[in-house]
Order: sequence, then structure tokens, then C-alpha cells
Amino acid sequence: MSTATTSNSPGKWVVLPHYVFAALAFVALSILLLFSTDAFSGHYFHPKLLTLTHVAALGWATMLIFGALYQLLPVVLECKLYSEKLATIAFGFLGAGTILLAWCFWNFELGHVMHVAACSLVISFILFNINVIQTARLAPKWTIESDFIVTSAIWLLVTGIVGLVMVLNFTMAFLPVEHTHYLKLHAHIGMAGWFLLLIIGVGAKLIPMFLLAHAESFKKLNWSYNLINAGLVFFIFDHLFFHTALLPVYAGLVVGGVLLFMLFIYETSKTRQRHDVDLGMKQTFVALGLLVLPIVLVFIVSSKVALPQQLLSSVYLVYGISVFLGFISAIILGQTFKTLPFIVWMHAYEAYVGRFKTPLPKDLYNHTIQRWQNISYLLGFILLITGILLRNQQLILAGAIGFTITSLLYTANVFQLLMHKVQELKPFSYGNASV
Amino acid sequence: METQVSEDFGNEVYETLKYIIDPEVGINIVDLGLIYSVSLDGELLEIELTLTTPGCPMSGTIVNATEQILLKRFPNLDVKVNLVWSPPWSTEMITEEGMRQLEGK
Repeated sequence: MSTATTSNSPGKWVVLPHYVFAALAFVALSILLLFSTDAFSGHYFHPKLLTLTHVAALGWATMLIFGALYQLLPVVLECKLYSEKLATIAFGFLGAGTILLAWCFWNFELGHVMHVAACSLVISFILFNINVIQTARLAPKWTIESDFIVTSAIWLLVTGIVGLVMVLNFTMAFLPVEHTHYLKLHAHIGMAGWFLLLIIGVGAKLIPMFLLAHAESFKKLNWSYNLINAGLVFFIFDHLFFHTALLPVYAGLVVGGVLLFMLFIYETSKTRQRHDVDLGMKQTFVALGLLVLPIVLVFIVSSKVALPQQLLSSVYLVYGISVFLGFISAIILGQTFKTLPFIVWMHAYEAYVGRFKTPLPKDLYNHTIQRWQNISYLLGFILLITGILLRNQQLILAGAIGFTITSLLYTANVFQLLMHKVQELKPFSYGNASV
Repeated sequence: METQVSEDFGNEVYETLKYIIDPEVGINIVDLGLIYSVSLDGELLEIELTLTTPGCPMSGTIVNATEQILLKRFPNLDVKVNLVWSPPWSTEMITEEGMRQLEGK
């Protein structure tokens, strides 16, 4: 039997600030949503909507994913993180870039501050790429999960570069066609290339791990990877150079990849030994269920369906929201409570385990708050998209209130975890071992 | 579970290790099937232990916990914990008691 190494986890000051920033960004996002109900009746290229999208995509989702990934990368790739220093610097650039960009979009200031913001973000993504790629190179074996994660990081950088080019174009106007043309490119590379590939890559490892299940075969995951990337590359070339009517075909490739991932999870979960699914995993399954909405809508937005212009604008908005506030937010709300309690627990109790009775990670946060967080989230989401489709501002406001409640409950629980103090521990008394 | 020590002593070791709970699963490491072998060579108590997944972030914690609890329970012995990946852990290694707990019975 070969002897293995011990823990690869990075320091808590590398990981935890990302969770703090993301939770506060989620609160900020919800409050901005409360003040943006009027913006949903127009075009998606609206300053308030651009602000909301970038706070959601960068401050909330990407920030949390960066933090979680620094913790999870060693789990998935089975090696230490390449550089904690790079991670900390990337955090600084991502945080500063997000705040500046949100301020610029909200006030529609398209000048130098926005250039600085976009450059900060691209620097952050470059540093993140170096860290991810170098960590993957340290891994004892290259797996399909490595493919997903490394490729997603590269797509994030491409998304950032396209964004930077668009920001420069605001003041220099050098791009040959209108801005929204590139916005579609920017958004889809971000959604399918960065978020989708990353979530699939990490989810393929973590979901079976949390369910105590094992994968029989990785063929479906391999095909999922190939289809999503093929769909995205075809889409980019077509959108830039050819302008054919084949967009639904490319969307079909990406959707095929997503369905294969879902099939992989379904088949793997049939072998699971763990049946007491907690609230974090339930929310994760809700997130996977919510993927149905963008899967259906992507065919509508990529086809030239003859719909009234107003309805089409609403469908575009619901499509974007179903990705950022639907799938991605739902999965973060669930997975935060599968990862953060362990990180906090490990740093608080590592020195005491084996000598004293310690609480378990699941004892460090409030499950009732988590339940209400999940309920208010789902209600908020349903109300919001219904309000957008019906162009009803009261419903949109009700949805925004739902999201605000969710963000406050989520943040309260996250801060309860982060402020956790080690309790007075009792030493073991042998003879009555029990779980 | 391969025990290369007397049955009584082996049982005592396993009972002691049942105090260590896998923080994610919530089941002790013995019933989860993570202890591969217990052996005693003179005053050296050696444990071979695995984890549910090779990249487990709890590896250091569980190894430390195993060492600490055995040193406390058997202060006259030296303790060495070897983290091993072969054979890889699978759910078939969970004991009947562990399965009962997983099913929430």
C-alpha cells in the first residue's frame, strides 16, 4: 500500500474574503434590483440592467467561485494550489474592478474609470488562469474535471478580453458593427464557457462525493465537454464572420452537452449510499432543475422566431436572468453550505480533533435560516421572471423583495459561520462511543 | 478490516477510533470503512487509513485526529498513521452499522 500525503487546503485568508465579498455583493445586487424595476420594460442594453448583470456575474458568482475554487481545486486535482499570493492579488483586482465597473454602468460613465475597471478585471483573470493552469500541471493525473476547469478559466479570460475591447470601443468606436452584437458574444462566452464548464467540472466531482456515489464511466462527461466547447467555438466564428442561420444548431450542441452532464449525474446518483440529502444538496438539485429554463429559451433567442418585439425583449431578459439569478445563484446558495462550513470548521477545530468532542461543520450555521433562504429565493425568482414576462412592475418588485430577503438570510448565515468562535470543548470519556 | 493484533486489543482500538466522525458524512471512520488495518509491532501501533476521496480536504484533520486519540487512549504506545489509497475506498466498505446510519434508521 502506498502512503499518501496530507491536506492540501490553502490558508483561510486566501479563501474567506471571497465569501465575504460575494455575500455583500449579493445584498448589493438585491438592493439595486429593488431600484431597477422600471428597467425591465426596455432593452437589455440598459445601464441598470448592465449594472445588475455585472454585479451578479462578477461580484457575486465569479467572486464566490474564485474563493470556492481555491479550496476545491486541491480536492478535484489532488494537489496543492500553485500560489496563494497570486490568489490574493487576483482577489484585489477582481474586487476593485467589479466595484468600479458597477459604478460606471449605474452612472453610465464610459470613460477612463471604466477602462481601469476593465483592465483590473482582465489582470485578475490572467492571474487566476496562471494559478489554475499551474495547479493543474502539478496534479498527479490529468482528468476530465481538469479539462473542464482549465478550459473554463481560459474562457473567462476570453470573456474579460472581449469585455475590455467593448469598453474601449465606448470611447474609441473602432468595432465594425454595433455594440449589442459583441455583447451577445461576451455574454455567451461567459455563460457557457466560464460558468457552465466550471460548474460541470467541479459538480462532476463534488456531487457524487457528497452523495457517496461513484461514477461507472466518464464517457458522457467527455462528450459533454466536447459538445459544449464545439458549440461555443462554432457560435463565435459564425457570429463574428459568417452570420448564418445555424445558431440553433450550435445552441443544440451546448444543450446536448448539458443534458449529457445531467445524465451523468442521474446515473451516478443511482449508486449513491447517502439518502439523507441536506438542504444544500436539495438547493443544488433545484439549481439543476432551473437549468431547464435557459435550455428552452436558448433556442428561442437563437432562432428568428416571429414574436412581438416587446415579448422578445422580455424573453431575452428572462433568458439572462434564468442563468445568473436562476441556475448560477441557486447552485451557489446550495453549495456555499456544503463548502464554507468545512473551511471554517477545519480552521477552528483542526487542532482539537481526536482530543476533544467537537461540533460538526453542519452545526456551525442555522438550518432554519437556510430553509427560509431557499424558499424566499425560489419565490423571488418565480415572481421576478413572471413579472418580466407580464411586464408587471409590482410582480418585479415582489421578486426583488424575495431576492433581498434571500440575500439577507444568506449573508446572516455566512457571517454566523465566519464569526464562529471555538466553544468550550469537553475531552473524550471512553466507553460510550456513538455517533 | 484486517487486524494483526489480539482480538481484544484490536476491538479496543476500533472502539476508540469510532469517536472520530467524518465531518461531511457524519459517521465514524470505522463504520465508514476507512480503517484498513491495525497492527502492533513492539510498542509501535500502526494504522492504515484511507479517505472517501483522494483529494479530501479533511485528510490532515482525520490523520491528526486518529493519531491524537490513539496517543491519548494508549499513552504507553507510539502511534503511526499511514494514509493509503490502495485499495481505493468504495461504498462497499461501509459496515452494516454505517449503512443503517446512512439510511437514517
